[in-house]
Amino acid sequence: MVFLLALGASVIVAAASPKAGPESAKRPGPAAAVICQSCHGANGEGAPAAKIPRLAGQSADYLDKQLRDYASGARSNEVMQNFAKPLSEADRAEVAAYFASLTAPSIAPNPRATDSQLARGRQLAQQGSEAERVQACDNCHGPDGSGVPRSAPYLAGQSADYLAAELQSWREGKRKNDAGKLMSSVVQRLNDADVSAVSAYFSSLGAE
Amino acid sequence: MDKFSRRKFVATIGAATVAPASALLKAAPAEAVAPQQMAQRGSATLPAKPLYLFFNLAEAAFIESACERLIPADESGPGALGAGVPNYLDKQLGGAWGSGERLYRSGPWQSGSPSQGYQLPFTPAELFHVALRAVNRNFESQGAAFGTLSAEAQDAYLKTLEAGGVDLDGVPSAVFFDMLLRMSIEGFFSDPVYGGNRDMVAWRMIGFPGAYADYYEAIDRHGEKFAREPMSIGEDALRHVHIDPNIPASL
Amino acid sequence: MVQRLKEVDVVIVGVGMVGSIVAKELAAAGYKVVGLERGEARFTVPEFQSPAVHDELRFDIRKALMQDNTREPVTFRNASSETALPVRRWESFLPGTGLGGSMVHWNGQTYRFQANDFELATRTKERYGKNFLDKDVTIQDWGVTYAELEPHYDRFEYLLGTSGKAGNIKGEIQPGGDPHESPRSREYPTPPQKEHFQGALFRKAATSLGYHPFPQPSSNLSQPYTNPEGVKLNACVFCGFCERYACEHYAKSTPQTVILPVLLANSNFELRTGCQVQRINLDSSKKKATGVTYIDTAGREFEQPASLVITASFALNNVRMLLLSGIGKPYNPQSGTGVVGRNYAYQTMSSVAAFFDQDVIINPFMASGASGTLINDFAGDNFDHSGLGFIGGAFIGAVNTNGRPIQYHPVPPGTPAWGQGWKEAVVKHYNHTVMFSLHGSSVSTRQNYLDLDPTYRDAWGQPLLRMTFDFPQNDLKMAAYVTAKGVEIGKAMGAKLVAGAPRKAPYTTTVYQTTHNTGGTVMGNDPRTSVVNRYLQSWDVPNVFVIGASAYPQNASWNPTDTLGALTYWAIDALKNRYLKNPGRLVSA
Repeated sequence: MVFLLALGASVIVAAASPKAGPESAKRPGPAAAVICQSCHGANGEGAPAAKIPRLAGQSADYLDKQLRDYASGARSNEVMQNFAKPLSEADRAEVAAYFASLTAPSIAPNPRATDSQLARGRQLAQQGSEAERVQACDNCHGPDGSGVPRSAPYLAGQSADYLAAELQSWREGKRKNDAGKLMSSVVQRLNDADVSAVSAYFSSLGAE
Repeated sequence: MDKFSRRKFVATIGAATVAPASALLKAAPAEAVAPQQMAQRGSATLPAKPLYLFFNLAEAAFIESACERLIPADESGPGALGAGVPNYLDKQLGGAWGSGERLYRSGPWQSGSPSQGYQLPFTPAELFHVALRAVNRNFESQGAAFGTLSAEAQDAYLKTLEAGGVDLDGVPSAVFFDMLLRMSIEGFFSDPVYGGNRDMVAWRMIGFPGAYADYYEAIDRHGEKFAREPMSIGEDALRHVHIDPNIPASL
Repeated sequence: MVQRLKEVDVVIVGVGMVGSIVAKELAAAGYKVVGLERGEARFTVPEFQSPAVHDELRFDIRKALMQDNTREPVTFRNASSETALPVRRWESFLPGTGLGGSMVHWNGQTYRFQANDFELATRTKERYGKNFLDKDVTIQDWGVTYAELEPHYDRFEYLLGTSGKAGNIKGEIQPGGDPHESPRSREYPTPPQKEHFQGALFRKAATSLGYHPFPQPSSNLSQPYTNPEGVKLNACVFCGFCERYACEHYAKSTPQTVILPVLLANSNFELRTGCQVQRINLDSSKKKATGVTYIDTAGREFEQPASLVITASFALNNVRMLLLSGIGKPYNPQSGTGVVGRNYAYQTMSSVAAFFDQDVIINPFMASGASGTLINDFAGDNFDHSGLGFIGGAFIGAVNTNGRPIQYHPVPPGTPAWGQGWKEAVVKHYNHTVMFSLHGSSVSTRQNYLDLDPTYRDAWGQPLLRMTFDFPQNDLKMAAYVTAKGVEIGKAMGAKLVAGAPRKAPYTTTVYQTTHNTGGTVMGNDPRTSVVNRYLQSWDVPNVFVIGASAYPQNASWNPTDTLGALTYWAIDALKNRYLKNPGRLVSA
């Protein structure tokens, strides 16, 4: 009960999020995942407007690492740290595997994206930009941002607001759990318009 | 030589042309895949015969049997046939590579030492046509066919070619054999966009992860198996590999 | 119909790393510079992006980034007694082309030579006596010392951002680095790349044998870096598509990632691509260059007049350019006269394969072009050669760069070349094998040389370069010796089976070894045995400078690139501060 009270506003937002879609969970989740579902949705579809990321179908090793990093503080987020810390290694693996197995349909893309934003986002995603000396996101994030297991998470179908917030975090040095500073060295070369564009583009791609 | 029109070929294999990945994403996944493109992952079913644009029927028959002896199917996985190696050869030889891409083709021609490498005027396409014609003619004149020999007899024949000393209408048999073996290995291990290594069977067999290759974190895990499905240059977000068999690896 | 263009201060033949650095420095100093590049312009975005760039067939097998051998190969023979024939397909060495040149697709292995190498003739005689060498060996001193080059090595490495661990800083040996290296003034610009499993196994074994393993200096960077030109690079992700490929991540040090943004922004510099330079033009005295003649991709011929001509078009092409232009006396091995084409050398490569049990998982595909761990205990003159009958040596290391399966599928000796047995062996050993490289030096000899072919021509009708080369006995003995040492290390690694493959004669163009072709326009203090002086200025035509590994009198145990970078800055120093202020001979003949 203490957890639910601490969530406060987040719980309300979760309840007001767009329809989660038909029941698609492959199996009942582990006990440890119940608390995650209260924010991240019954099917791990996330709450895009609240910048709560979609977890469904994300690579298990990425989810596991993020939970580990939240617990240790390597990735800083007070709310997530409170949830991640109590998890045992086995719990963490179970939760990660569970959400990785889900296939929730994607939530409608950000209505605020313009055509030129999407075009610019697509260019950065698939080709990069020599002027900014930024390589294509897809190099690491997979064909059309669909993720490369054991390397980089999927971006396709992810909440645009969440992506933009994370990119901003990388840029400001607030998020630091990228090995080799791969993310921060790329994102430092993107301006605000590019951050919005690439976030909007990936979010517009339906996830599996 | 039977020739099939490209249009007919493309129509037969359905959605084979390379399309921007995002366009494919918007399509529902169920309909996009033509049967020839997508064998079940790890299944042992042989795919349907490729449509040959370069090899005539007799040439294709020899190539299929010969390649399967070079790289046979076994418990570790499919061999040349299952991997589509004959298809790879067909498309390479029928394309720019076959017609002499990357080959200095000025004379005069003289035979040299082994250190001096290939010195024949034949393009790969010419070499294969000439050699295969001679090989098939030899068999026909004995009322036989390479494809009907036992595996041991096929191997023995290939070894004679490999050893050299058999003149295939001007093509030294060792040169032909060497080219056949090299191209078979290419067809087995190259990216599936070139028509071989179907469904990445060869990569899966050895554990090579393919074209997407970020190992910054994994490199620290010394001695740990890197368990990831191989990924092709030509795969889309739904993990379907788009083969354009008409693409040679041109420059 | 030749069109004569407006005269400029400097024309540079070849816009690879050397051309880019020279152009940047001279343009920044206010000179009008034209850079003529045979190939096309290309940049990280879009040309080098993956997944398309991770295509082994296209880039490894079909050699997509290499010089067009259908129009411009070389001819080759092992000895003068043979007829040279065209190298109809590149295999042994792979000359690059295009903006950025070979350093777009290099491996990033960044080694300095040692002080001993620059005075090899003198020091060999001092240490081993004057009768130690075989009679046909023509090694010589460079005319420049390591100490003179040190600041320029430093500058080049900081331009690249090379990742490594110093072994000797101003005479103080540093733990973790190479204790044999000649003194450097400071640490590398970035720390070493991560060590992969192969490197760790090698390090343990080498240490147990009393050797001194250290991380390979790598210009595939270990972390993000901003170089002194203000250009930024990213960290390398060990994708295993390094040599023969361009890097999509801005992580490999190439002209594109270290200097071109600065060069191309300078309006004193004009880049022209698709320009095949035919010759350097001379005036009637034949002692002054008036510029160059080139043909563009549309077949139009141009004359570009210039006060200063610099040829920076790769070692082999530099030599050919001088021969086609009539600059310097061509070398004749029979009479022993002449210098252009003399002292051609290469690299003597051997290998060792260590095969492990199924439970040892190597993951060879996780590597950069220069990740790895090696020893210099048997390189150069770092060990006593008394009684061994050869000079030189090799670095020995677990420096394998990839697991790309068309070319990399190691099998033990005796495995059939095809069939069931081959396939089984490939599956069994692919992920359980460590390949060592033994990267050996190459002495020059009287009979190894370059000249123009009498028969074969390029697409423009000009004679091809003819290469006459075979491994000298000296180097074959060296290869056998170091390979035996490598096998011992393999055994100390606990491998089930260790197979050494020392380089054997004859040299063949049909198997890849390296693209470390050196010599032919050798530098030195004596015009009788060198083509350029110690500042890389032609003895014969003072307004021509020839900057490339063609300057090397012989090749050392390490990759030539870092030394070439140092020589480039060294030559630029002489150009900017002496020659251009007062054109003329920098060294009296």
